Amino acid sequence: MTKLLWVPFLRCVAAVGLYLGAASMSPFALAGDASAGSDVFKTECSECHSVKEGRNKKGPSLFGIVGRNAGTAPNYKYSDALLQAKWVWTTDKLHSYLSQPAKQANPGTKMKYDGLTDSKQLDDLISYLGTIH
Amino acid sequence: MSHSLNRRSMRRTHRVYLWLAVAALLLFASTSVQATPAYARQTGNACADCHAGAYGPALTPYGMRFKLNGYTDTDGNGFKIPVAVQLIGTHSVPARGQNTTQLTEADIYVAGRISDNIGGYVKIETDNDGQDHFSTKLSNVDLRFVAKDLKLGSKEATFGVSVNNSPGFEDAVSDLPDSTLLGPPGVTGTLLNPSSPDALANRVVGATAYGLYDSDWYGEIGSYTSLPQSTQSNLGYALSGDPGRLSDTGFFRFAYMKDLKKQFFSAGIVALTAKRQLPRSGPADDLTDLGYDVTYQYIGNRENIVQASFVDILEQRRYGSLPPSPFPGITAQTHGAVHDRTFTLTYTFLQTYGLTFSHLVSTGTRDIVRYQPYGVPDTTSNLLTLYWAPFGKDDSFTTIANLKLAATWFHFSRFNGSSTNIFGVGPGLPVTNAHDLNAFSLTASLAF
Repeated sequence: MTKLLWVPFLRCVAAVGLYLGAASMSPFALAGDASAGSDVFKTECSECHSVKEGRNKKGPSLFGIVGRNAGTAPNYKYSDALLQAKWVWTTDKLHSYLSQPAKQANPGTKMKYDGLTDSKQLDDLISYLGTIH
Repeated sequence: MSHSLNRRSMRRTHRVYLWLAVAALLLFASTSVQATPAYARQTGNACADCHAGAYGPALTPYGMRFKLNGYTDTDGNGFKIPVAVQLIGTHSVPARGQNTTQLTEADIYVAGRISDNIGGYVKIETDNDGQDHFSTKLSNVDLRFVAKDLKLGSKEATFGVSVNNSPGFEDAVSDLPDSTLLGPPGVTGTLLNPSSPDALANRVVGATAYGLYDSDWYGEIGSYTSLPQSTQSNLGYALSGDPGRLSDTGFFRFAYMKDLKKQFFSAGIVALTAKRQLPRSGPADDLTDLGYDVTYQYIGNRENIVQASFVDILEQRRYGSLPPSPFPGITAQTHGAVHDRTFTLTYTFLQTYGLTFSHLVSTGTRDIVRYQPYGVPDTTSNLLTLYWAPFGKDDSFTTIANLKLAATWFHFSRFNGSSTNIFGVGPGLPVTNAHDLNAFSLTASLAF
């Protein structure tokens, strides 16, 4: 009998926990599938960016990119445009930046990217980037 | 008469060994790297970013852009020494002849950027002649000046100049025979085919101006001249392969390329025209190569990559002289054509394991005087390579060096117009069939 009472109680706790957790996360991070985002990264980003810490290619390492201040990857020579951009790479900022041509998002940037218009792929990609730290 | 027959058969026997050597060279060429770890160090990229199989030769669209940008792209992190080394060891098993296991090639690459606008590729190649005697020659050269990130109207454009020594080596799509170092071998062949006898590859010098418009449209125009024989000799080349004196040479290339990230395709045309005196003191032949090429790549998420290409080149010839005819009342043709076709299909798994199949066909118009004894030069061959390149990827032990172990089968089904008795020797003399030119090799290549 006691056991039977505990089951609905635990279910309620779990439901509330899930709700609170979801409310505290970025909606973009929640929407994306990080596993699918890994494939998007390989297709869209991996030629110019590595996810290894300290490994810069034509573009800077994306290790720990979510939450990082713009223009601060070690040993990478940024454009003046990005050095002067005083933003933080939040999931919202990444979503906005990557959904349009890089030259439009940050005029003067070295980055050559036409933007990712598929919102599902963009969400997946940002979710994946959120796991790289 | 019998003495003359014996002498002819001796000459043909020598030609057998010559073609065995050509087959061996093709085996090496098919497994040799064309990119260098020097570029990986310069850019921070892994080898696999530019080459699906992490060791070349076929370029990914990203590799094509790196080439178009004059080898100047960089990670911006200081000067990198633009030098790399390649060593190749080969266990060769020819259908006829002795098995050998040797260090077959040692190369030094001077390759990289000088500035944002100037970069290049130079390969200095040392080959084993089979008797452990090594000779060094200046192999492919491609020096570039490039103006990047230009605007033409509202579209992006790139313009450049390439000074190089093999027409087609500098090509952006890099599927032309001088780029892949793979063209149909045979007793004759087109100017654009490095496997042709007296080929232009590495024995000419020229300049082409090229442009890329809106990332898709590629055009190139230029001219070449053959190097003086003394210069060829100084650069390590035997005079027996002199391509002759070239004049009025024009090169043209146009291609549409579409990079869809997960897929890529291109379609293009190429032309090369020249007057060639071979021998240099003789009359000139008018030669015009006109070809088309199509390529397709499925790249996806890089785990399963398929690359296919077809290159079809037709050479029209107007001969400046007629060779003496051994047949009373029959003279050589004053005009002729040679047709080279190469189809290549490569599958690469995890950018590490690969299988490449090439089908190479060379045909020509009938001319019983020029193409003895059967009157046609037709040759058909196939190349199959299975390889493993464990490094050179973002997640591998090293991204900037690589090893390639390859097993290659080279198979002739027809040579010099026949599958049997290809040199047409008389009764009682040793016969050479097309499959006697077959060869198998195991190759270990190391680049760092």
